Amino acid sequence: MPLENHEKARFLIHRDLVEGISLEDRRWLDAHVGQCAECGRYADLSARAVRALDWFAVELDPAAALRVENVVRSRAEGMRSAEAHAKSLWIGTAAAIFLTFTGSAVTWGPLAWLASQWNVPSRVWQIGFAAFWLLPSLMLALLPLFRRRLLGEHSDSKGRTI
Amino acid sequence: MTAFSRMAESESQCIARALRRRDSEFIGRMVSRYHYRLLRYLVYWTSRREQAEDLVQETWLRVLERAGQYNGRLRFEPWLFSIARNLAIDHLRKQQTAMHRMCREDEAGVDLPAPDFESPFFAAARSEDAKRIAAALGALEPIYREALLLRFQEELSLAEIAQVAGAPISTVSSRIHRGLSMLQAALGGGADAA
Repeated sequence: MPLENHEKARFLIHRDLVEGISLEDRRWLDAHVGQCAECGRYADLSARAVRALDWFAVELDPAAALRVENVVRSRAEGMRSAEAHAKSLWIGTAAAIFLTFTGSAVTWGPLAWLASQWNVPSRVWQIGFAAFWLLPSLMLALLPLFRRRLLGEHSDSKGRTI
Repeated sequence: MTAFSRMAESESQCIARALRRRDSEFIGRMVSRYHYRLLRYLVYWTSRREQAEDLVQETWLRVLERAGQYNGRLRFEPWLFSIARNLAIDHLRKQQTAMHRMCREDEAGVDLPAPDFESPFFAAARSEDAKRIAAALGALEPIYREALLLRFQEELSLAEIAQVAGAPISTVSSRIHRGLSMLQAALGGGADAA
């Protein structure tokens, strides 16, 4: 029997185990293995090598498994509550910023009218408006977002407060 | 699309949704469901049981952190194993660096603790054949052990293994062939000796 046939058979035996072979190749391989004891032994050895991997079962420690499960569950809960908190902070901040600008727009007209009545130069009352109305409102709106940083607390990417 | 792939897709999407919602009940069930497979995979990588157990937990915490990256379009297992793989590689790198440092200190006259390493493959081997295979598995580089495990025990496709390993399919295929040849040689050597 030509040497190439044995090489082809061994190649197909491995390939069959790893990714499968076509029907035509299978027919050829079956016929060859039926005639060639050496390749038959090789096929048997290959199948045994794959089955041998099942001998190495890792013993499970139920206590360790439960410990991991509890740690992961509690981290998931922590992250969920941290994310919900962050979400409500962002919504609150967005609403506060919206109200700041809406309120500013509403008060702008009456303040301009009052300033003209009291002959206050427009630059003066506008700076006063920004300093005593707009900026404090914006700072109050943004305060919750930076509260932790201001208090020296940090939240890591895992939702834990440090 | 086959019924099986539709079912697998909906399961993956279910997992992706649960991860994004941080559904602790569902995640807890998943941890329990995949615990053995993940542990076995990490034992194949690290060859050490205790390290593998620590890495299982690290893997799940990393899964939670990266939940947004899993969209449920592909199967969950390859994504999970690729996270575990990256952690195992990082861990082995750190271990190697520490070993190098300890060796240098040893040269400077510091006493090193004796290694108490016993391969988990040997621990599981109960017959002569199993011992030969254990020796072959222990001698294999982790990338070959990994390829064998993912193909024959996890039954992932070559494309999925390539996704986990971040390597081309042809490389994965040749790793499996090489690993298989080494196991065959271990078994064949025993048979010849008998």
